[in-house]
Amino acid sequence: MTPDMFFGLASVLFSIGLVGIISRRNLFVVYMSIELMLSAISLILATFSKLQGDAGGSVMALLMIGVIASEAALFLAMIVHLYRDYRTVDSDDFDILGSADA
Amino acid sequence: MLETNTLEIIIFSILAAFMIGGSLAMITNKQTVFSAFGFLVAMLGLAGMFALLDNRFLAIAQIMVSVGAVVVFSMLTILTINMKEKSLLVEPDKFKWIAFSIVLIAPFTYLLYKSLSSTALKFSTSIQTFDTKAVGHELFTSWALPFEMVSILLLVGMLGSIVIARKKKEKR
Repeated sequence: MTPDMFFGLASVLFSIGLVGIISRRNLFVVYMSIELMLSAISLILATFSKLQGDAGGSVMALLMIGVIASEAALFLAMIVHLYRDYRTVDSDDFDILGSADA
Repeated sequence: MLETNTLEIIIFSILAAFMIGGSLAMITNKQTVFSAFGFLVAMLGLAGMFALLDNRFLAIAQIMVSVGAVVVFSMLTILTINMKEKSLLVEPDKFKWIAFSIVLIAPFTYLLYKSLSSTALKFSTSIQTFDTKAVGHELFTSWALPFEMVSILLLVGMLGSIVIARKKKEKR
Protein backbone atom coordinates (compact mmCIF):
# COMPACT_ATOMS: atom_id res chain seq x y z
CA MET A 1 0.00 0.00 0.00
CA THR A 2 1.67 3.18 -1.19
CA PRO A 3 0.63 6.83 -0.73
CA ASP A 4 0.36 7.14 -4.51
CA MET A 5 -2.72 4.91 -4.50
CA PHE A 6 -4.48 7.23 -2.07
CA PHE A 7 -3.40 10.30 -4.01
CA GLY A 8 -4.64 8.78 -7.27
CA LEU A 9 -7.99 7.90 -5.73
CA ALA A 10 -8.38 11.37 -4.22
CA SER A 11 -7.53 13.02 -7.56
CA VAL A 12 -10.09 10.87 -9.38
CA LEU A 13 -12.79 11.62 -6.80
CA PHE A 14 -12.08 15.35 -6.92
CA SER A 15 -12.33 15.28 -10.71
CA ILE A 16 -15.58 13.30 -10.65
CA GLY A 17 -16.99 15.99 -8.38
CA LEU A 18 -15.82 18.70 -10.77
CA VAL A 19 -17.40 16.82 -13.71
CA GLY A 20 -20.67 16.62 -11.77
CA ILE A 21 -20.67 20.36 -11.11
CA ILE A 22 -19.95 21.22 -14.73
CA SER A 23 -22.22 18.77 -16.51
CA ARG A 24 -25.37 18.45 -14.39
CA ARG A 25 -28.16 20.95 -13.81
CA ASN A 26 -29.95 19.25 -10.91
CA LEU A 27 -29.15 21.29 -7.79
CA PHE A 28 -28.99 18.18 -5.60
CA VAL A 29 -26.33 16.61 -7.81
CA VAL A 30 -24.34 19.85 -7.80
CA TYR A 31 -24.54 19.89 -4.01
CA MET A 32 -23.41 16.27 -3.65
CA SER A 33 -20.55 16.91 -6.11
CA ILE A 34 -19.29 19.77 -3.94
CA GLU A 35 -19.42 17.48 -0.90
CA LEU A 36 -17.49 14.83 -2.82
CA MET A 37 -14.74 17.32 -3.72
CA LEU A 38 -14.41 18.41 -0.08
CA SER A 39 -14.26 14.76 1.01
CA ALA A 40 -11.50 14.04 -1.52
CA ILE A 41 -9.46 16.86 0.04
CA SER A 42 -9.95 15.44 3.52
CA LEU A 43 -8.71 12.06 2.23
CA ILE A 44 -5.55 13.80 1.00
CA LEU A 45 -5.13 15.46 4.41
CA ALA A 46 -5.50 12.15 6.25
CA THR A 47 -2.95 10.53 3.92
CA PHE A 48 -0.41 13.27 4.60
CA SER A 49 -1.13 12.94 8.31
CA LYS A 50 -0.09 9.28 8.19
CA LEU A 51 2.89 10.03 5.94
CA GLN A 52 4.33 12.63 8.29
CA GLY A 53 3.33 10.86 11.50
CA ASP A 54 1.65 14.05 12.64
CA ALA A 55 -1.89 14.19 14.00
CA GLY A 56 -2.34 17.74 12.66
CA GLY A 57 -3.61 16.51 9.31
CA SER A 58 -6.21 14.35 11.02
CA VAL A 59 -7.38 17.33 13.04
CA MET A 60 -7.67 19.38 9.87
CA ALA A 61 -9.70 16.61 8.23
CA LEU A 62 -11.91 16.48 11.31
CA LEU A 63 -12.54 20.23 11.17
CA MET A 64 -13.29 19.81 7.48
CA ILE A 65 -16.05 17.32 8.35
CA GLY A 66 -17.57 20.12 10.45
CA VAL A 67 -17.33 22.51 7.51
CA ILE A 68 -18.99 19.90 5.26
CA ALA A 69 -21.86 19.51 7.74
CA SER A 70 -22.49 23.25 7.92
CA GLU A 71 -22.27 23.56 4.13
CA ALA A 72 -24.86 20.79 3.80
CA ALA A 73 -27.27 22.60 6.12
CA LEU A 74 -26.95 25.91 4.25
CA PHE A 75 -27.11 24.41 0.76
CA LEU A 76 -30.17 22.28 1.51
CA ALA A 77 -31.92 25.26 3.11
CA MET A 78 -31.15 27.21 -0.07
CA ILE A 79 -32.58 24.42 -2.24
CA VAL A 80 -35.77 24.33 -0.16
CA HIS A 81 -36.09 28.12 -0.43
CA LEU A 82 -35.55 28.10 -4.21
CA TYR A 83 -37.94 25.18 -4.70
CA ARG A 84 -40.66 26.97 -2.75
CA ASP A 85 -40.41 30.01 -5.05
CA TYR A 86 -39.74 28.38 -8.43
CA ARG A 87 -41.12 24.82 -8.11
CA THR A 88 -37.99 23.41 -9.79
CA VAL A 89 -34.44 22.37 -8.92
CA ASP A 90 -33.09 23.09 -12.41
CA SER A 91 -30.17 25.49 -12.06
CA ASP A 92 -30.88 26.94 -15.52
CA ASP A 93 -34.16 28.43 -14.30
CA PHE A 94 -32.63 30.61 -11.62
CA ASP A 95 -31.75 33.63 -13.75
CA ILE A 96 -33.46 36.41 -11.81
CA LEU A 97 -30.20 38.27 -11.20
CA GLY A 98 -29.00 37.81 -14.76
CA SER A 99 -31.95 39.08 -16.81
CA ALA A 100 -31.47 42.83 -17.07
CA ASP A 101 -34.60 43.53 -19.12
CA ALA A 102 -37.00 41.70 -16.81
CA MET B 1 -1.97 -16.88 4.64
CA LEU B 2 -1.90 -13.57 2.88
CA GLU B 3 0.72 -11.00 3.62
CA THR B 4 -0.49 -7.86 5.33
CA ASN B 5 0.47 -5.67 2.41
CA THR B 6 -1.42 -7.80 -0.11
CA LEU B 7 -4.46 -7.82 2.12
CA GLU B 8 -4.31 -4.03 2.46
CA ILE B 9 -4.12 -3.64 -1.31
CA ILE B 10 -7.11 -5.96 -1.80
CA ILE B 11 -9.18 -4.01 0.76
CA PHE B 12 -8.06 -0.72 -0.81
CA SER B 13 -9.11 -1.91 -4.27
CA ILE B 14 -12.56 -3.00 -3.11
CA LEU B 15 -13.15 0.27 -1.27
CA ALA B 16 -11.82 2.33 -4.18
CA ALA B 17 -14.11 0.49 -6.61
CA PHE B 18 -17.07 1.18 -4.33
CA MET B 19 -16.17 4.86 -4.00
CA ILE B 20 -15.59 5.48 -7.70
CA GLY B 21 -18.65 3.45 -8.68
CA GLY B 22 -20.79 5.29 -6.14
CA SER B 23 -19.65 8.71 -7.28
CA LEU B 24 -20.13 7.83 -10.95
CA ALA B 25 -23.64 6.62 -10.12
CA MET B 26 -24.13 9.91 -8.30
CA ILE B 27 -23.37 12.08 -11.31
CA THR B 28 -25.09 9.94 -13.95
CA ASN B 29 -28.44 9.02 -12.38
CA LYS B 30 -31.60 10.84 -13.37
CA GLN B 31 -33.46 10.01 -10.16
CA THR B 32 -32.12 12.20 -7.35
CA VAL B 33 -32.66 9.55 -4.66
CA PHE B 34 -30.41 7.08 -6.54
CA SER B 35 -27.77 9.81 -6.74
CA ALA B 36 -28.04 10.17 -2.98
CA PHE B 37 -27.54 6.40 -2.59
CA GLY B 38 -24.40 6.61 -4.72
CA PHE B 39 -23.18 9.44 -2.51
CA LEU B 40 -23.90 7.30 0.56
CA VAL B 41 -21.76 4.46 -0.85
CA ALA B 42 -18.92 6.90 -1.59
CA MET B 43 -19.03 8.33 1.95
CA LEU B 44 -19.00 4.84 3.51
CA GLY B 45 -16.01 3.97 1.34
CA LEU B 46 -14.25 7.11 2.53
CA ALA B 47 -14.79 6.03 6.14
CA GLY B 48 -13.18 2.69 5.24
CA MET B 49 -10.25 4.57 3.69
CA PHE B 50 -9.76 6.52 6.92
CA ALA B 51 -9.75 3.23 8.84
CA LEU B 52 -7.21 1.84 6.38
CA LEU B 53 -4.99 4.84 7.15
CA ASP B 54 -4.98 3.80 10.86
CA ASN B 55 -7.15 6.78 11.70
CA ARG B 56 -9.91 5.26 13.81
CA PHE B 57 -11.33 8.46 15.23
CA LEU B 58 -11.69 10.05 11.81
CA ALA B 59 -13.38 6.91 10.44
CA ILE B 60 -15.98 6.94 13.22
CA ALA B 61 -16.49 10.70 12.88
CA GLN B 62 -16.96 10.27 9.12
CA ILE B 63 -19.60 7.58 9.63
CA MET B 64 -21.42 9.57 12.31
CA VAL B 65 -21.38 12.98 10.64
CA SER B 66 -21.23 12.41 6.89
CA VAL B 67 -23.24 9.21 6.67
CA GLY B 68 -25.43 9.58 9.73
CA ALA B 69 -26.23 13.25 9.43
CA VAL B 70 -25.39 14.75 6.03
CA VAL B 71 -26.64 11.93 3.77
CA VAL B 72 -29.75 11.29 5.85
CA PHE B 73 -30.48 15.04 5.82
CA SER B 74 -30.04 15.18 2.03
CA MET B 75 -32.37 12.21 1.56
CA LEU B 76 -34.96 13.79 3.86
CA THR B 77 -34.85 16.98 1.80
CA ILE B 78 -35.08 15.05 -1.47
CA LEU B 79 -38.04 13.03 -0.23
CA THR B 80 -39.72 16.13 1.22
CA ILE B 81 -39.48 17.96 -2.08
CA ASN B 82 -40.84 14.73 -3.63
CA MET B 83 -40.36 15.41 -7.34
CA LYS B 84 -42.78 13.43 -9.46
CA GLU B 85 -41.51 11.40 -12.39
CA LYS B 86 -42.80 13.90 -14.94
CA SER B 87 -41.39 16.96 -13.18
CA LEU B 88 -37.86 15.54 -12.99
CA LEU B 89 -35.34 17.48 -15.00
CA VAL B 90 -34.99 16.62 -18.66
CA GLU B 91 -31.30 16.66 -19.52
CA PRO B 92 -31.08 15.13 -22.98
CA ASP B 93 -27.43 16.08 -23.52
CA LYS B 94 -26.33 14.86 -20.11
CA PHE B 95 -23.88 12.18 -21.25
CA LYS B 96 -22.51 14.46 -23.95
CA TRP B 97 -21.77 17.07 -21.30
CA ILE B 98 -20.26 14.47 -18.99
CA ALA B 99 -17.95 13.15 -21.72
CA PHE B 100 -16.96 16.69 -22.69
CA SER B 101 -16.11 17.71 -19.13
CA ILE B 102 -14.18 14.48 -18.54
CA VAL B 103 -11.99 15.34 -21.53
CA LEU B 104 -11.68 18.86 -20.13
CA ILE B 105 -10.72 17.77 -16.61
CA ALA B 106 -8.51 14.72 -17.35
CA PRO B 107 -5.30 16.82 -17.70
CA PHE B 108 -6.10 18.55 -14.43
CA THR B 109 -6.52 15.16 -12.73
CA TYR B 110 -3.13 14.08 -14.02
CA LEU B 111 -1.55 17.33 -12.82
CA LEU B 112 -3.10 16.95 -9.37
CA TYR B 113 -1.92 13.35 -9.08
CA LYS B 114 1.59 14.17 -10.25
CA SER B 115 1.99 17.14 -7.95
CA LEU B 116 0.72 15.15 -4.97
CA SER B 117 2.85 12.08 -5.62
CA SER B 118 5.98 14.14 -6.33
CA THR B 119 6.57 14.23 -2.57
CA ALA B 120 7.85 10.64 -3.02
CA LEU B 121 7.34 9.70 0.60
CA LYS B 122 6.67 6.19 1.86
CA PHE B 123 4.46 5.04 4.68
CA SER B 124 6.60 4.17 7.67
CA THR B 125 6.50 0.50 8.55
CA SER B 126 5.98 1.08 12.25
CA ILE B 127 2.34 1.03 13.22
CA GLN B 128 1.16 4.35 14.56
CA THR B 129 -2.49 4.87 15.19
CA PHE B 130 -4.13 8.24 15.54
CA ASP B 131 -6.67 7.37 18.19
CA THR B 132 -9.02 9.69 20.01
CA LYS B 133 -6.35 10.61 22.55
CA ALA B 134 -3.82 11.86 19.99
CA VAL B 135 -6.40 13.74 17.92
CA GLY B 136 -8.05 15.26 21.00
CA HIS B 137 -4.73 16.37 22.47
CA GLU B 138 -3.76 18.04 19.20
CA LEU B 139 -7.22 19.56 18.83
CA PHE B 140 -7.14 21.35 22.19
CA THR B 141 -3.51 22.48 22.15
CA SER B 142 -2.25 23.72 18.79
CA TRP B 143 -5.60 23.66 16.94
CA ALA B 144 -7.75 25.37 19.56
CA LEU B 145 -8.44 28.53 17.50
CA PRO B 146 -9.53 26.68 14.30
CA PHE B 147 -11.70 24.45 16.48
CA GLU B 148 -13.48 27.45 17.96
CA MET B 149 -13.85 28.99 14.52
CA VAL B 150 -15.51 25.82 13.21
CA SER B 151 -17.87 25.78 16.18
CA ILE B 152 -18.90 29.37 15.42
CA LEU B 153 -19.27 28.40 11.75
CA LEU B 154 -21.60 25.56 12.73
CA LEU B 155 -23.67 27.91 14.90
CA VAL B 156 -23.92 30.47 12.09
CA GLY B 157 -24.78 27.70 9.62
CA MET B 158 -27.59 26.52 11.89
CA LEU B 159 -29.04 30.01 12.30
CA GLY B 160 -28.56 30.82 8.63
CA SER B 161 -30.32 27.69 7.43
CA ILE B 162 -33.28 28.47 9.70
CA VAL B 163 -33.46 32.03 8.33
CA ILE B 164 -33.07 30.94 4.69
CA ALA B 165 -35.59 28.11 4.77
CA ARG B 166 -38.20 30.02 6.78
CA LYS B 167 -41.45 30.92 5.10
CA LYS B 168 -41.77 34.56 4.18
CA LYS B 169 -44.47 36.46 6.03
CA GLU B 170 -47.32 37.64 3.87
CA LYS B 171 -47.18 41.37 3.21
CA ARG B 172 -50.37 43.27 3.63
